Amino acid sequence: MRRLTRRQRIAAALLAVVALCFITLDLGGGALRDAHSGVRGALGSLYRGTDVVVGPARRWMEGVPSAGSQQSTIDQLRGENARLRGRIAALEAEQRTSGQLARLQRAADGTGRRLLPARVVGYGPGQGFDWTVTLDAGSSDGVRDGQTVTDGAGLVGRVLHADSATSVVLLAADPGSGVGARDLRTGEIGVATGLGADGFSFRPLNPDAVVRVGDRLVTGPNGASSYVSGIDVGTVQSVRRSADGTTRAAVHPTASPTAVDLVAVVLAADAAGSLAEPGRR
Amino acid sequence: MTRARVAAAVAGLTTALLLQATLVAPVSAPWPVSLPAVLVAVIALVDGPPTGMAFGFATGLTADLGSQHPAGVLALCWLGVGLLCGLLADRRGVRRDALVAGSVCGLASVAATVLFVVVRSPGSLADAITYAVPAALGDALLALLLIPLVRRMLRTESLRAPHPVYTELTVGARYG
Repeated sequence: MRRLTRRQRIAAALLAVVALCFITLDLGGGALRDAHSGVRGALGSLYRGTDVVVGPARRWMEGVPSAGSQQSTIDQLRGENARLRGRIAALEAEQRTSGQLARLQRAADGTGRRLLPARVVGYGPGQGFDWTVTLDAGSSDGVRDGQTVTDGAGLVGRVLHADSATSVVLLAADPGSGVGARDLRTGEIGVATGLGADGFSFRPLNPDAVVRVGDRLVTGPNGASSYVSGIDVGTVQSVRRSADGTTRAAVHPTASPTAVDLVAVVLAADAAGSLAEPGRR
Repeated sequence: MTRARVAAAVAGLTTALLLQATLVAPVSAPWPVSLPAVLVAVIALVDGPPTGMAFGFATGLTADLGSQHPAGVLALCWLGVGLLCGLLADRRGVRRDALVAGSVCGLASVAATVLFVVVRSPGSLADAITYAVPAALGDALLALLLIPLVRRMLRTESLRAPHPVYTELTVGARYG
């Protein structure tokens, strides 16, 4: 073990103080917002370039642990299953709401979404996985802050920042953030809180609501949720009722939060929750 | 501080951050393995605390500005990595140094997660503690690959530290 000289000790203390100043400045307000978005934009465009070179290697390495177990076939079938289930869910949801919609004289237009396909080109540059991913589509493609991102079957997250050529997505399963969700079987609404790699924990707003294993959750009404409604969140895996009567359900996510690759950004949705441009899906 | 050293530091920093975002993080998820932190540790192990601290702070700040959490968190943690690894360096055995780098980086990732939770950024403490050991092993493995490379680079004529005398002498004196 060596020791520091006096000058080195002073330098270490100074750098630590500077770092703490940065943290306070950034927490206190938008003093560093421009620096953040500048560096993020620059790194984002570099990710696009790097992904061209290392992307194939990464996809190969991600496949190594499951090589030989016919995992790719299983994954493909799983994806197909999820897509079909998603379609059934959309149909169920439409059936349930069509009565109300008819009464309200509104067109049942729950499926007309304009989707922009995008590919994940980078995770966080810091350490491991900080629950954000970088996409290779940006504001020049029509992506705006706050838009919902799906992987075709389930909810992935929402756009945090859209730079010109890339955008940063906060994953829905990010520990601590909540998604307004609706139980498809009963129509009860509640909050699904992210638990990281474990998925979500769902708590219905009505304490007497019955949640069963196997119930499917979709994103809820737009007022309570910053997401487009009707997108698959996950399936209830276990239900726990605590002594004070509250119900908590563990939810297995439809879109795996740590294995996203090809995704789609939901481009157009008006504030009322019906989606603006009809026709295409 | 020569111009060649600064250029090499910038190149190393950028390469590490890009490889982390596009290759290491996706492949190692959900373990919080961090290539930039390992590079900081290895450079500190080879070159001593001053270089380690400066490089750690610069790399951490760049990574901070490139992500969502408040700037300064990783700068602070990786400054600590540079300092600790610089102090604990042995410079002879590759395996011992790799172990030091791995455990210090594992500690730093737990410390960073604690700070993330304090400043209310994404991150869960339970995950960080569960994955601390596998992440440290991953870090040590990366260090095992990086140490010979960084040693060779930092001992070339153009990248050698301007004042190697002080640290080399004390080490020499202590071990006889």
